[in-house]
Order: sequence, then structure tokens, then C-alpha cells
Amino acid sequence: MPITIKNLSKAYGDQVIFEDFNLVLEKNKITGILGPSGSGKSTFLNLCCGLEKPDRGTIIGVNLQTISYIFQEPRLLPWRTIRENLRFVLKQKSIRKAGPHEETINEMLKLVGLDTVGDFYPRELSGGMRQRVSIARAFLYPSELLLMDEPFSSLDLALKNKLMDDFLEIWQHDQRTVIFVSHDRLEIERLSHEILTFSDKPVKIVRSEKMNRETTIKEY
Amino acid sequence: MISTVLENNNKPMLKKVLMKSGVSLFWVLLWALAAQWVNSPLVLPSPLETLKGVFTLAGTSNFYVSIGITLARVFGGVFISVLLGMVLGLVGGLNELFYEIMNPFVTTIKSLPVVSVIILINLWIASGLVPLVVTFLICFPVTWTNVVQGVRSTDLKILEMAKLYNVSKARKIWDIYIPSVKPFGVAALMNAIGLGWKVTVTAEVLANALPSVGMNLYYSKIYLETDLLFSWTLVIVCCSFIIEKTTLYFLKRTDRGGLDQCPLP
Repeated sequence: MPITIKNLSKAYGDQVIFEDFNLVLEKNKITGILGPSGSGKSTFLNLCCGLEKPDRGTIIGVNLQTISYIFQEPRLLPWRTIRENLRFVLKQKSIRKAGPHEETINEMLKLVGLDTVGDFYPRELSGGMRQRVSIARAFLYPSELLLMDEPFSSLDLALKNKLMDDFLEIWQHDQRTVIFVSHDRLEIERLSHEILTFSDKPVKIVRSEKMNRETTIKEY
Repeated sequence: MISTVLENNNKPMLKKVLMKSGVSLFWVLLWALAAQWVNSPLVLPSPLETLKGVFTLAGTSNFYVSIGITLARVFGGVFISVLLGMVLGLVGGLNELFYEIMNPFVTTIKSLPVVSVIILINLWIASGLVPLVVTFLICFPVTWTNVVQGVRSTDLKILEMAKLYNVSKARKIWDIYIPSVKPFGVAALMNAIGLGWKVTVTAEVLANALPSVGMNLYYSKIYLETDLLFSWTLVIVCCSFIIEKTTLYFLKRTDRGGLDQCPLP
């Protein structure tokens, strides 16, 4: 069953961002959203995960409790180690019941190439490594939907490419549904199966493109 | 080669110690010169006479009993005020209604003159307990205000992340709010210790609390023993300094590597 966003409406005062906006997202695929800065891409993600309340609308096909998010900045707890930061999102009862997760954390750390720095504090890592922790945290959390808000935008080109490769490698493991927002077409093309282009406010989808995974993974 | 590196690393530390000792020596010399110029131990005793006075006092049991009891009052008052200030400040920072209920009480205590509080409290309770209660009333608002401010300045982006990952309220308090509040709590504790000494000794004098350092100061003044008055003051300053440094030492020892964002003073 696809994830359906139905009649989404949101306005800030007189400024209408979304008005009866509808969207169907394919499950287990990466949907990229392109659009000019300030067009409402981040607001869209925040509305999808409940960080902002819509004026009207429903999201069907996903439990709001099972959404993970890779923010533009890593948002790690500076006073906890990398391992503790990952453990932090796994401390809910429902997840704890699923069994011991130390092994899963170790596997994930290995997958993102941070197994040797698990006991380091965020300040001891580079910006790229911290963002990789944030990616690991999002994949570690048992979510049905993963939202990404320009997670590579603040990185230099080489690091960005490396991190996107890492992302695709991790994604291959469980192929969860992803909404990836960026203003950078190259980033979107590289990761997405489908690209939607947002218009300016009120948001409409002005273009939709299906991408071929094989052709999108390419070196710049 | 290695020894050269170590030497270089030690230089700033050595320089710092030398500079601090030099500054202290400068002020003691200035004091000695002023005492010599005044030439009356009754008005201004010299540093040497003050030090002699400390040794004279240290030869009596009253000295230790007075310091012990004053210390207990300072610690008692500071401990209760910091503990309650932290717990209630945390609740106040998280709960707007609780903050609104507490705020008039805290604001009123803050604006009351210390002397009025001491005299008023002395009417209600035994003299020996007055310094403790007054220390609490003076130090509690400082801690409360600092902790509330700490809670309110918690990084909203981290809170948003925790909300998104459905982290429980208890976990948020333990893993986000408490570490965020820690630097504010430490500042409040250091403030409370400094204030605690001043308020406790003042309250001891005004409430005639016996035995106490405050009353010894008072008697020194009555009997015109200015050298002993200075000696007691020196003892208070030394005790306050030692306690402050010891507290900082233990706080730094329990500090974790990730707390670089909340440096201790």
C-alpha cells in the first residue's frame, strides 16, 4: 500500500503554503523533491512527521510514530558518545521489547564506517562523520518512512559524494521509503527513483520524473 | 625531544602560578605598607599580626567549634537551596503553570533586603537556625532562576529530534534537559557557595547565633580586638576559597568529555 497524502493544507497567516495538496508515494522507493528555496519543501517534511500541525489533511499508510529524519545538521547530543547517541533513539519501550540492540548498533556503526569511534563524543568527529552518525541513527530507528532535509548541503563535494554512496549502501539493506528534499538537482538525481518538482507557494507539483536507479548512480 | 615538549607545555601553567603568586604578594605588600603608614593595629593590623592572630585562635577549641558549626550552616543552607532550586527550577522550566505559581514567591524573596529577612526570621525561629533558613532564602532564588533559564535555553533542534524519535519525557529530562542545565546549575552552585558564606556570617551576627564565626567577629569588634577581627575575616576568606576550589575540583572530576560546551568556571 503506497503512502498517500490527502488534502494537505497549511497557511501561515495570509500566506498559503499548501492548499488541498495531494501526493502518492511509492513504498520502498526514494522520492526526491526539488524546488526553489523557501518553496515549502522543509515545511512539507515537518507536516508529514507531525513536527508542524497541518490546518487540514491526512497521511495514510504510515504510522506517525515510525518516522525517522535526517536533518540538515546532525542534531546529536554533545554530552553523549556516538554509541549513546544511537542508543538514545532506541530507548522506547516498544523498541526495547524487540530485544537487545547493542549488536545492531555495532553492525550499523560498522556499516557507516564508524565502528572505531563509537565511544567518541560528537565534538571529536568531523562534520561528515557526525552526519554519518545521523544517517546511522535514522536507519537504526525502526521507521516506515525516512525523511531527509538537505542532509548533504553543508558538506564539500568529495564528502558529499562519499556520504551519498554510503547512504545508498545502507539503504540497499532495508530499502525503506524515503522522501528526500533538496534544492540541488544533482543530489536528487543521484539518489532518487522518482523526482517531484515543487512550484512556489501555494505548492503544486509542476513536474514528475521516474528515474532509472542504474543510471542515477553515477560518478560526477 | 620529549622533555622539550613537556617543558613547553608546563610553561604556561608555571607562568600562571607565578603570576597569581606575584599578584597576591603585591596586595599583601600594599596592605603591609598601609598598616605601617596608619601605624595603629587598632585601626589596621598588619598582615603579620593578622596571621599571628589566626595562630592564637587556632590554639583554642572555640575556634574549631565555631568554624565547624558555621560550616554546617553554610553547607546546610547551600545544599537545601541548591537541591530544591534545581528540582523546582527544572519543574518550573518545563511547566509554565508551576513557574507562574512560584514566580511571585521567588521575586518577593529576591527583592527583600537581607537584613529584614534575618530580623523577621529571628522573630519566628531559634537563633541557631536563622542563618540556615536565611541562607536558603537568599540562595534558593539564585539557583531557581539559573535553572529555569537553563531549561529554557535548551537546544530546540535537539528537542525536536527527540520528539520525532518518540523519546519519553523521562528520557528527555535525563538525557537532554539535565545536561543542558548543568552549566547553569554549576554557576548557581558557585554563586550559592559565595553568597552562603556572606549571608550565614551576617545572619549569625544579627541573630546572635552561638557558637559561630559571626559572633566571634562581633565580639572582636566589641572588645576592639581589630587584629582578631582581621584574623576571623581571613579564616572566612580562606574557608570560602578552599570550599569553592574543592567543589570545582570534584565537579571537574565528574565532568565527562562531551561536556565541552558547558565549561566550568
